Amino acid sequence: MADRSAFSPESLTENRLLYWIAAGLAVVMLAPVIWIVGLSLKNNQELMLGTEAVFRAPYTLKNYADIFVNSQVFGWFLNSMIVAVGQTLGVLTLCSLAGYAFARLEFPFRRTIFILVLFGLAVPEQAVIIARHQMFNWFGLHNTHIALMLPGMSSAFGVFLMTQFFRAIPREIDEAAMLDNTSQFRIFWKVLLPLTMPAQATLGIFTFLLAWNDYWWPLISATKKEMFTLTIGIASSQTNFAQSEGLGFLSAQAIFASLPVVIVYIFFQRHIVTAVSGGAVK
Amino acid sequence: MAESYRRSRWSHALFVVPYLIVFLTLLVFPLFWGMWLSLNKVDLFGGAEFVGLRQYARVLSDPVFHQAVRNTVIFVAVSVPVLVGLGLFLALALNRKTRGAAFLRGLYFSSTILSVTIVTLIWRIVFIPNDGLMALIFAGLGWEPIGFLSTKGWSLFSVGVATVWWCIGLPMMLLLAALQQIPADLYEAAALDNASKGRILTRITLPSIKPTIMLVAVIQIVMQFQLFGQALLMTNGGPAGTSRPIVMYIYETAFIRWDVGLGAAASEILFVIILCAAMLQYWISTRKEEV
Amino acid sequence: MSAAIQINDVTKRYGALTVLENIDLEIAPGEFVVFLGPSGCGKSTLLRMIAGLEAVDSGTISLGGDRIDTLPPGKRGVAMVFQSYALYPHMTVSQNMGFGLQNIGVAPRDIDRRVKAAAETLEIAHLLDRKPAKLSGGQRQRVAIGRAIVKEPQAFLFDEPLSNLDAALRGRTRLELAQLHQRLGATMIFVTHDQVEAMTLADRIVILNERRIEQMGAPMEIYQRPATKFVAQFVGTPAMSFLPVSGIEDGARGVTLDVAGAGRVETGVHLPATFARENASLGIRAEDAKVLTPGEDGVPLRVKVVERLGDRAFIYGTLSDGTDFVVEDAGRSTVAAGQEVRIGFDPDALHIFDSAGRAYHHTEGA
Repeated sequence: MADRSAFSPESLTENRLLYWIAAGLAVVMLAPVIWIVGLSLKNNQELMLGTEAVFRAPYTLKNYADIFVNSQVFGWFLNSMIVAVGQTLGVLTLCSLAGYAFARLEFPFRRTIFILVLFGLAVPEQAVIIARHQMFNWFGLHNTHIALMLPGMSSAFGVFLMTQFFRAIPREIDEAAMLDNTSQFRIFWKVLLPLTMPAQATLGIFTFLLAWNDYWWPLISATKKEMFTLTIGIASSQTNFAQSEGLGFLSAQAIFASLPVVIVYIFFQRHIVTAVSGGAVK
Repeated sequence: MAESYRRSRWSHALFVVPYLIVFLTLLVFPLFWGMWLSLNKVDLFGGAEFVGLRQYARVLSDPVFHQAVRNTVIFVAVSVPVLVGLGLFLALALNRKTRGAAFLRGLYFSSTILSVTIVTLIWRIVFIPNDGLMALIFAGLGWEPIGFLSTKGWSLFSVGVATVWWCIGLPMMLLLAALQQIPADLYEAAALDNASKGRILTRITLPSIKPTIMLVAVIQIVMQFQLFGQALLMTNGGPAGTSRPIVMYIYETAFIRWDVGLGAAASEILFVIILCAAMLQYWISTRKEEV
Repeated sequence: MSAAIQINDVTKRYGALTVLENIDLEIAPGEFVVFLGPSGCGKSTLLRMIAGLEAVDSGTISLGGDRIDTLPPGKRGVAMVFQSYALYPHMTVSQNMGFGLQNIGVAPRDIDRRVKAAAETLEIAHLLDRKPAKLSGGQRQRVAIGRAIVKEPQAFLFDEPLSNLDAALRGRTRLELAQLHQRLGATMIFVTHDQVEAMTLADRIVILNERRIEQMGAPMEIYQRPATKFVAQFVGTPAMSFLPVSGIEDGARGVTLDVAGAGRVETGVHLPATFARENASLGIRAEDAKVLTPGEDGVPLRVKVVERLGDRAFIYGTLSDGTDFVVEDAGRSTVAAGQEVRIGFDPDALHIFDSAGRAYHHTEGA
């Protein structure tokens, strides 16, 4: 019998075979994660004898409990939280103010400054990190939360994103507010800023993830164990891999360390995808 | 004053000053300070001596650097095509409006949000000899075990596998976004023209997203040239430096051996390479808007 | 509440480009004035200068006798309705309407009262707690008008407020705006490029073209006695037909013209002695020409298209010299494309334009 369903353009681009291959490949994506989850639920002594024990009961949450009892992981978690939240708030404040000004206000050298900031997008971390390390050394700032937060705030991406977003708000909104006798700061604060909430969320989540996952800068700036972030801390316990702490405990640490970003990801997936793809595809 | 916000005023610049201070002190200044460091020999007591390009010459004649460049180029040359190709495949396969496709998109992107520490931890546990997942699979199949992280060749390969697993989300999402911007009426017109699925793919879909494919490739080149954490954490560059990338060379010279000038010179060389790629990216993305 | 507006010798430039030059205009209290003109004629710029959204380069603007062109927009005592409505998306309807009052420190109770009163008038009281995204285009439009009303301004400024509405709603809102004007008795300035809006709403139309005011006057005056060829062409649908004049002969009733495609045409128009006779043209509106019954003597027209509107029909064709011409006929017109018909003109409704575009009309009793 002929297919009498209405024509849809999707039918021309969708391919069942490709789809099922992609679905099958998902196993490769997931297998390592499942493996780690399995290990984290096993007693370390049992794993010493052979990791195929993963496929057998009993399972235990002891490794997770140990994180809170006898390790520095919890302290690292706090450091990561302080740094990521602080950096995010800083970025949102700086970029909102700058974005508004670049998009709406006229001041000398506005274009030149904006172009200069855009050039900042092209500067990779390793071109500045040695000098940054020296600078923080001059001021004795290493091994502080501030030192971990500050460099991420110089990123030009947020300024670019917020400027674009402020530009997308119709000028008539400002003009209506001007006719409503609104002062300039009140226009920014009461009228425009609330309208940038979607962009704030996108930029905020994106910054949080970057800060949480940052590796190189904390690696060289936080040298004292108690100032480690989770990324550095977990990496440091990897060096004595499989010797003292055991695979199960290591796996549990990894999962614990990923929980915040996984939770953020589950709730804000759309914002994250917008942030990473928004810059490249308009 | 009327329409004051359009008038050019110094006071308006106050809004950008906070960011500008951070930008200038933590990005612009270190950028130039890094250049200065690469041209001067600084001793432990703060004395500095201008040495011109001598440190660059040292980097360029360092066999370890040569090896790092070779490793990085090989890594980029293999991982970028895989990332772009696999990303394109996933984008084409998952560009549909079903819940299953949405879930798979979310799954493939999810690894991107993990930190390099977690990614390498996961893959080290997969690749470790005897107890790793790969070792178990090899044993189950009766194959000869491979020391993935400790064998020449395989170590860089293993870093590549972890990298692809970690980074595949971004190319897929960028290409999906491009696919979804192709207007539906283009496909309707093609249907009226009796085009086959294969011809629609090669004549409409791929040409429409070609600029994005190029862009994704350049972004990946820029990113993969900066390979660092995976190699440091999975193989520590070994065995015998066969998986040491350029950034790791910079890290080791500047922060392990504290030869700051040499590290700075190496980082400037990498910066130039990346800048060229970034300019290519800018050129592609601006050209795209004119299409 | 309503005040007069004086615009004195106002000029506006964007860099080297002059968009308005030496504009003089007086608007009486309570008058409804429409700025009409093609896009880019500066009509919106003039309105925005009154609002304070554009600076005045030279000249002055006064409202109720007080100079306002140096005041910020919020202090001028004017309210504006934007083409896009420009409602604050994150505020409810009542917050949108009350925001301006809040900014000048009106007591919350009074704000509430004034917002409610305006909402009643505009029949949007049931929408007060909604956000703009949840409103239809027509409702947003009313909120935008409501936001202007609560401020009790001395003058209302409308910047093409109907152009985002569909045709039916536009017609209805037009009527309501006319009623609103009657009720409030406020001074209103309305910018549009739509001549129907201008004709139906205005006490007085100001036609702007190329930096200047081309003509001001009551709608029917503009329509019947356009001052220039531009106005004649711009106002009226279909546009007036223009025929080149090759010779002019004075007569007792008026001049007789030699027109290439129409032979000798008698008019009721007297031309002054100073009239420059070269390159003059004759303008005829479609309704001032008629299709003659077969056998009558008239100007031949080769019919190309017949446009039937039901109550009347427009017949588009060419005269013997190739000039395009439109004539109105009855709705039941039997004329068909391809035919040749004879047409005649009403001599007292003809317009003659000199080479500079100045218009001359039939004068009553002359």
